[in-house]
Amino acid sequence: DEEVHFRQRVIEMDPLEEAEFEKELKALMQESLDSRKLELRARPTLNMAIPMNIFEGPTKDHHGRGGFEVESGDETLDEEPGGSKEVRVKVLVKRGSKQQTKQMYIPRDCSLVQSTKQKEAAELEE
Amino acid sequence: EETGGDDEGFEYGKGGYAEHACRYCGVTNPACVVRCNVPSCRKWFCNSRGNTSGSHIVNHLVRAKHKEVCLHKDSPLGETILECYNCGCRNVFLLGFISAKTESVVVLLCREPCLSVNALKDMNWDLSQWCPLIDDRCFLQWLVKVPSEQEQLRARQISAQQINKVEELWKTNPDATLEDLEKPGVDDEPQPVVLKYDDAYQYQNVFAPLIKLEADYDKMMKESQSKDNLTIRWDIGLNKKRVAYFVFPKEDNELRLVPGDELRLRYSGDAVHPAWQSVGHVIKLTAQEEVALELRASQGVPVDVNHGFSVDFVWKSTSFDRMQGAMKSFAVDETSVSGYIYHHLLGHEVEVQMVRNTLPRRFGAPGLPELNASQVFAVKSVLQKPISLIQGPPGTGKTVTSAAIVYHMAKQGQGQVLVCAPSNVAVDQLAEKISATGLKLNEQSSLVMIMLDLFNNEMWRLFQIKPNSTVADTATAVTEHQQRGRDKSREKGSAVAESATKGLVKVGRCGIRRGNRGKEQPRRRRLRVTCRKRCSRIHGTGAEEGEQVVRLSAKSREAVSSPVEHLTLHYQVRHLDTSEKSELHKLQLLKDEQGELSSSDEKKYKSLKRATEREISQSADVICCTCVSAGDPRLANFRFRQVLIDESTQATEPECLIPLVLGVKQVVLVGDHCQLGPVIMCKKAARAGLAQSLFERLVLLGVKPIRLQVQYRMHPALSEFPSNSFYEGTLQNGVTINERQTSGIDFPWPVPNRPMFFYVQMGQEEISASGTSYLNRTEAANVEKLVTTFLRSGVVPSQIGVITPYEGQRAYIVNYMSRNGALRQQLYKEIEVASVDSFQGREKDYIILSCVRSNEHQGIGFLNDPRRLNVALTRARYGIVILGNPKVLSKQPLWNGLLTHYKEHECLVEGPLNNLKQSMVQFQKPKKIYN
Ligand SMILES: [Zn+2]
Ligand SMILES: [Zn+2]
Ligand SMILES: [Zn+2]
Repeated sequence: DEEVHFRQRVIEMDPLEEAEFEKELKALMQESLDSRKLELRARPTLNMAIPMNIFEGPTKDHHGRGGFEVESGDETLDEEPGGSKEVRVKVLVKRGSKQQTKQMYIPRDCSLVQSTKQKEAAELEE
Repeated sequence: EETGGDDEGFEYGKGGYAEHACRYCGVTNPACVVRCNVPSCRKWFCNSRGNTSGSHIVNHLVRAKHKEVCLHKDSPLGETILECYNCGCRNVFLLGFISAKTESVVVLLCREPCLSVNALKDMNWDLSQWCPLIDDRCFLQWLVKVPSEQEQLRARQISAQQINKVEELWKTNPDATLEDLEKPGVDDEPQPVVLKYDDAYQYQNVFAPLIKLEADYDKMMKESQSKDNLTIRWDIGLNKKRVAYFVFPKEDNELRLVPGDELRLRYSGDAVHPAWQSVGHVIKLTAQEEVALELRASQGVPVDVNHGFSVDFVWKSTSFDRMQGAMKSFAVDETSVSGYIYHHLLGHEVEVQMVRNTLPRRFGAPGLPELNASQVFAVKSVLQKPISLIQGPPGTGKTVTSAAIVYHMAKQGQGQVLVCAPSNVAVDQLAEKISATGLKLNEQSSLVMIMLDLFNNEMWRLFQIKPNSTVADTATAVTEHQQRGRDKSREKGSAVAESATKGLVKVGRCGIRRGNRGKEQPRRRRLRVTCRKRCSRIHGTGAEEGEQVVRLSAKSREAVSSPVEHLTLHYQVRHLDTSEKSELHKLQLLKDEQGELSSSDEKKYKSLKRATEREISQSADVICCTCVSAGDPRLANFRFRQVLIDESTQATEPECLIPLVLGVKQVVLVGDHCQLGPVIMCKKAARAGLAQSLFERLVLLGVKPIRLQVQYRMHPALSEFPSNSFYEGTLQNGVTINERQTSGIDFPWPVPNRPMFFYVQMGQEEISASGTSYLNRTEAANVEKLVTTFLRSGVVPSQIGVITPYEGQRAYIVNYMSRNGALRQQLYKEIEVASVDSFQGREKDYIILSCVRSNEHQGIGFLNDPRRLNVALTRARYGIVILGNPKVLSKQPLWNGLLTHYKEHECLVEGPLNNLKQSMVQFQKPKKIYN
């Protein structure tokens, strides 16, 4: 209930510091990539094992089979009419051998949702 | 056996640092933090950029070259190690999200190799839109939230340099904290205080080492204060506890003992007696430097031995620990103070905020004197502001104003009001005034019980009431005592008796207001009736609805009686006598009788006592205690939105912080930065600025104190110089010359209606026997003559105060007067001779100030401090005499002004007292302008 108002604070960044940090970050990214390329010459087998029932929509209960659970999956995943700033998605994660989905909200302008939406739109038009 | 474990089971800072707080900035929001998953690290970091280009977690991963993280269990995804859905790779620098083509399902996938596996392309995933987990040097903000601006502003403002340093430190010491970076070397000067702090961590970094320095110094001083070969006089207290009396000579520059201090008494043993020791606490100090020590153990005390005892100080870190704890709460606990107050205290620029409250129609309070205009203005503005400073120059009714503020705050019904001051004396004074506004009795804490308990309380001795006497006898005795007190209190100087009488009357008044209606047993009812009669006679006031006040004191002080004892929590607990509490009462009696309880009974006793204390405290509207006691574990779970600190200019900042971090939203600091500040023993800490109070810093930051402007203490002639020199001439007189007329007192004031003079002294100063202080024999001799003249003219000893800044001179004057005094020795013994500092906050009718220093080649030491001079000049109500050497003192600009003032008013005199003449002594040019 409490609001505090400030005069704008200007954060001064040291450009040298910033450049150095950026360099280290890039190096770490590259090193990570390189190590994987060397380490995994042989392509791994595909282990995505995505339970197809997840696409059937979450209105039904899915228990047991394939150790798959939908957590906190309730209504449909379509965004509310009027278009809020966020879109609800299911994040699919593995917990050991079990698979789980969790709901998350992603900003509508995130590339991740945009591509999906564009495709959907395109498919609808066809 | 040692300290009784005052703070057992208490964790500072309401649980201390949250485990999942960002190790850089302290942000704790679970949605904003992730844990580094490297087994040797496992530290938490947030996703805010703070003052750096990358977010804190990314900064850490890059600096430490760590690559795995885990989300918080309370975050939207729950406790989840981020890994590739396909291959389980946990390198966050490789991970990104992809989504299914048609449905809103997303997974984490590593860039190499899984993203480029051919088989994947055939599935329902859109690989072209891989969205990296770390983007723009920050984790995806929808996965790990960025803390709000508010949260960030309140967090530690860590710089890139500090991040690099602490990461470097973690390589060798994974548990190091940012504070370790700041630790000064042994010989380094500590970081000085500043006006503004980036955040509460920086604040803590500055103050924590200063408090540590002061604590170490205090410990060293106290523990070195052992005394051997003491002679003991044994006694038994009313509570059946063993009391040892002995002389504890005070030496220069040593700490004074105060009631409540703990001492260990030792006997090394002899042929007949085994070695023995016991800890006790000081309950009394006599003017003759005799100490009364109440021992904790009553068994095995060698009471048949009187000589050869040793005593040492038992140092306790409690007060310092509580200051450190308060600073920690201030930093890590967002609820410790409101956001507004947080930023305000740190000196950030915050837009002015008003408290929306319906203001009362009148600003005075029942039971208090009418307020004057500046007092009304103070009460009114304070009630509307989240932070206010009230400056109360000497005698301006600071305590009454504070009590009125507390009264109105309590009436607003925003929960309990916390009222603090650095010293017990100040708390007692304020508690008394607050309780005078009227007490609303609460069902549990029937003060009627307290009245009953007069029979077995120490008070009965004061009132000369015998145990088991009837209620009527008691009431009569009280009235008689009060009459006696009125007649004799001046002469006897028995201020204690007087206050106790007042206290008792107040208890009586409580009794008539509202008891446990219909619940009293016959005996109690009878008492109430008697009380009503007595009280209406004594007071003649109708009962008014008011607040209930609880006065919380430190455990060690619980056995020390105080004028507001009936308000103290421990007192109320002890005297709560309902049937539910009979178990507690029984145990209490047993404990009093045996001195101890079996361990299971002790446990039961403690928990019952705690529960009862809680009950009483929670039902009160106002809680009064010292600043340090506000950190008492018994208040740990209390929240106070409104806090008033009296005498706040005499507390260090961290001390002031203790009562504030209990959830304050509205702060009132009362004090006077033109009088003496907190006493800091360690010079290093004082130099670094620990002696500057929070009040003062806020003034320097531009907070304008509301000044009370009418003084009711000094004769108008006495207030003139202090008003002009210390208060820009704003001090008005609420007393007239007639009201301060010294009729019947035959004293050689050089100018009638100007009861003041500067008595020119040319005697030499000397170094005292101890080599650490000064004395001046001619001044001492003249002090005796002045005192004798006062006494002969009809002034009583309790009206006179002799002030001298040097302990050497104090001791010399006491000694000189009792040996060479022209009148009865006893009269001189009753005259208070003390330092300026110990007179702060008090007044006397007549003050004699002996300046001592009289050396043309040296400074004037203590008297150089304008605040000390202010205090010295403003203690007297009716008259003041200053003894000193104008040639020496005039070098200092402020003293030069004072001397000129006295000279202009023909009050600069010399010669024998019965033939004072204007002095023609030449002043020196002042050295520099006093600012
Ligand atoms: Zn790490
Ligand atoms: Zn952080
Ligand atoms: Zn992978």
